[in-house]
Amino acid sequence: MSPFLARNQRQGSALSLEKILEALHECHPETVIGTSPNGARWIQVTSFALLDVARLLKADPRLRFEQLCCLTGVDLQKFPATPERPACDDLVCAYDLHSLVNGHSLLLKVQVPRANPELPSVESVWGVASFFEREIFDLFGVVFKGHHDLRRLLLPPDWVGHPMRKDYVYPRSYGGVELCREGQTFESGPYT
Amino acid sequence: MISFGPASDALALWFAKQGVTESVASWLAVLIIVCVPTLCIVFPIAGIAQYFERKIAGYAQRRRGPMVGADGVVRLVIDLSLFWQPRWKRQKAQAFVQGLPLVKPLLAWIRKWGLGAIAADGVKMFLKEDMAPAGANRFLFRAATYLAMTGSYLAYVVVPFSQGFHIADYPVGALFLGAVTGLVAVSILQAGWSSNNKWSHFGGIRAVAMIVSYETPIALCVGAVVMWSGTMSLQGIVAAQYASGWCSFLGWNVFQTPLMLLLAGVYYIAGLAECNRVPFDLSEGESEIVGGFHTEYSGLRWGLFFIAEYADMMIVGALFATMFLGGYQSPIGEEWIVALPQPWEAIVHSCIMIAKFVGSVGFMMWIRWTLPRFRIDQVMKLAWTKLVPLALFGLFGLAVTQWLASNANGVTEIVHGRYVSAPVVPLGAIGVGLSWIVFGTVAVVLVVLARRYGEPRPIDPAVKDALVGSGTWKPVAPAGKDGAA
Amino acid sequence: MSIELDRDGDFITLSMGPHHPATHGVLRLVITTDGEIVTACKPDIGYLHRSIEKIAENLEWNQFAPYTDRVDYVCSMNSNHAWVLAAEALLATSSETKLVVPERAEYIRVIVAELNRISSHLVGVGSMSMDLGAFTPFIHALAQREVINDILEKACGARLTYNYMTIGGVACDLYQGAEDEIRSCLAELEKVMVNFNRLITTNSIFKGRLAGVAVVSPEDALSYGLVGPNLRGSGVDFDLRRDIPYGVYDRFDFNVPLGGAYAGSKGAVGDCYDRFVVRMLEILEAIKIIRQALDQMPPSAGKEDDPVGGWWLSKAAAKALRKPPVGEVYFRTENPRGETGYHIVSDGTKNPYRVKIRTGSFCAVSIFEKLVPGLMIADIVSVIGSFDIVLPEVDR
Repeated sequence: MSPFLARNQRQGSALSLEKILEALHECHPETVIGTSPNGARWIQVTSFALLDVARLLKADPRLRFEQLCCLTGVDLQKFPATPERPACDDLVCAYDLHSLVNGHSLLLKVQVPRANPELPSVESVWGVASFFEREIFDLFGVVFKGHHDLRRLLLPPDWVGHPMRKDYVYPRSYGGVELCREGQTFESGPYT
Repeated sequence: MISFGPASDALALWFAKQGVTESVASWLAVLIIVCVPTLCIVFPIAGIAQYFERKIAGYAQRRRGPMVGADGVVRLVIDLSLFWQPRWKRQKAQAFVQGLPLVKPLLAWIRKWGLGAIAADGVKMFLKEDMAPAGANRFLFRAATYLAMTGSYLAYVVVPFSQGFHIADYPVGALFLGAVTGLVAVSILQAGWSSNNKWSHFGGIRAVAMIVSYETPIALCVGAVVMWSGTMSLQGIVAAQYASGWCSFLGWNVFQTPLMLLLAGVYYIAGLAECNRVPFDLSEGESEIVGGFHTEYSGLRWGLFFIAEYADMMIVGALFATMFLGGYQSPIGEEWIVALPQPWEAIVHSCIMIAKFVGSVGFMMWIRWTLPRFRIDQVMKLAWTKLVPLALFGLFGLAVTQWLASNANGVTEIVHGRYVSAPVVPLGAIGVGLSWIVFGTVAVVLVVLARRYGEPRPIDPAVKDALVGSGTWKPVAPAGKDGAA
Repeated sequence: MSIELDRDGDFITLSMGPHHPATHGVLRLVITTDGEIVTACKPDIGYLHRSIEKIAENLEWNQFAPYTDRVDYVCSMNSNHAWVLAAEALLATSSETKLVVPERAEYIRVIVAELNRISSHLVGVGSMSMDLGAFTPFIHALAQREVINDILEKACGARLTYNYMTIGGVACDLYQGAEDEIRSCLAELEKVMVNFNRLITTNSIFKGRLAGVAVVSPEDALSYGLVGPNLRGSGVDFDLRRDIPYGVYDRFDFNVPLGGAYAGSKGAVGDCYDRFVVRMLEILEAIKIIRQALDQMPPSAGKEDDPVGGWWLSKAAAKALRKPPVGEVYFRTENPRGETGYHIVSDGTKNPYRVKIRTGSFCAVSIFEKLVPGLMIADIVSVIGSFDIVLPEVDR
């Protein structure tokens, strides 16, 4: 078998965002398209429909999103109000998906309230979500139900707080080590 | 009362004159006579071997290896001996010493070849902290090194350097060697277990499995050579490879039948495994188990393991030379050396012997810097499914060959320690021819089968073409502008 | 993470790392073994976590560029490239802030990125050989990498973390004589690669160590987010430079090597040997790309008419970055270790609102828990080396 292949053709066909929404509306009519001022568009789902939608996105032959490229957590607390979205302090999980066979990409977003951030885990659909979700749990505090081993990933297990949140206050000491000098504060950010 | 020859007797007498009791005096004398020369010879040789290892590593890796000069030694000696003088006086003394007629070219020569690395490595071992891990069994931890050294050094007792020039020539020399080299396995296991460290434990277990497995092919090879030579004494094995005339290398065992060549190869590979050398260094495999059995050893204790490893390598080389390469006999005619007066004969023979086993050891070092490491299951498979069958095949083949040529008149007339008066004819011509034909064919058939069904098969031709091209191999000059390190 | 590091019946629980010669950084694997065979493996990461993503929220857009070098310092040109392309993609969503990168700058970006890909692969395959016991190929690979480092040092002043690319171009043009030096470096590299391959890639002990070890099926590879040579080693034909081209990559003609059970009868598609061979072949492909880029690159127009966007940051880029468009973008580039994706959320101010860096090694570590049980301890080293994991990428 030769290791080299010429630029090959994909068998499937790329779908536009509207067509993907149509395919999803068959089972989940509550999904909508969200937009941002710079023209980025995504599909917004509710937290209880997330796992189902994820399974559908991976299994449906028209969609076939095999790759979960990136799972981003965003804290909307300091985000300026836009016409499309009023100011709120929810946490958002953004799933960047890509289909090799069909050649289309999709951004999928879920918004959860800050007071009770719970989402179903999509670990059973895309295995890499196990690490991504642990990272978001570690840094944002979103709890993923159904994850086989949800614990802190990057920070030590006895760390307090979720650092990537916008209202995170840097601790003054950890493990007996003072983290800032007398008279120094971290409230305004470490570089100003 | 124990005696080890006239030298130890004289020393024991002198001790007794000083008032030491007789039995203690005799033990003390034997200890000194045996240990001091061995240590004084083996420590520097290990240092020199280490130097060659690093230089071979350097040249294999397209750089120059260690280039340590010895000017610092001069300065150190002067500073220590004239420490009360002011600094400028010491500097003047140093300049004076370095300018002396013999010292200057000597220092330049040392700097050119980087021989200061020998001193540097040796001093480094002495200067490091000597510690044992918490929770380790102190006695076993320390005793492991001593046991390893013992196993390695005891084997030198029977190695023959010339006619009559050996520490002892037991009639069961080969058996003695097999018994003594087994101490290495015990010592490594002891080191691994007593370090109170799971990685060391792994190293010790792996080492025991490997060393004990590879003792089987070694024993079979040694047994085959013993059977061929008719005696277990190492001097006798050497004497059995005597051939008169200018082509005395034809008397060597490797050139007798192709089976001997096969057995030599099997012995060499199994000997590599006994020494824990790459590709069999998985008991100290640095990138897997952090150092294996010698993780927790530092300073001179590690140095002793390390010296024991080099001593083991030299024993394997010396045995290889003794059993297969004719021992201390020269390849271009033996009578003129035997005719020399006694000290000269011993010196020439010793030089030849040292050249042979330095060649074997150098080849081991070359292999180390070329090949990657095996995994433990591959090591065991190699020993039991490949080397042991080959060694058995060689053993039985040699027996058959010997039976076919049972009119060989050298086999039954070896006299212990002395050459026979008649030159030894290894085989009748028919026996030689038959053995080459029969066993050569079998060997070729085996090689063809191994290439077809062995593992792993050759790489995909398209990929191989992309990776290595189709031309002949050409060496590439060292990288960089000046080609230096 | 606290676990009982004691014997449990017949199993031994060991902690491989974070101080370990073969974990390519501070990776800790807690393995439970039955003799030599591993029964469970839990990776424990975070020893190199530097909160780069949080730092990004307090810095301006171009001030963050040196941090992106440290996300993967072995191939920092590519990490830099990913960041500047993502920022330029964000700016391109609005016509007022769209930046035009000079063509020569695009070609220079490709050249240095591919040079860095070669040096990163040399480090990867070299250290993998060293982990398997062959010390010599590592030195040969690093000697060639030194030549590349010298070229890049002359280009931008640093040997490892370059900070050479800016949003809108590159920091400065290539030095005079760079083209000849690069060409001679590539010619020597080809010869050295032939020797290297004869020494280690076609060595049967090496193949025996890697054949059939840690086979990753294509479905698993996609599901666990493997990218780059790891994905292609499993036979999946996907290369971002060819399939979703960015910069000027669509102007080059190069092949994409795939895994194909090269180890012979004992190998399988997606084993460690395949990933190793894919990396070796990618070095040859990168050499091709650099040669084509050198041929196609427009010449420098001289000092007065600086074609590469000015020193550090052009005026247009600085103006655009003061008020970037509000919104988000996800941009993917092909790193030597896989895919580096930047998911950037911008709130219209001079600091990014959220920067999420998605790296290939992070996802490669996520497959360990599933892949390693059943292998021997000696194979773990092959697995870590064949996935070419570097911990700064994993921990950020």
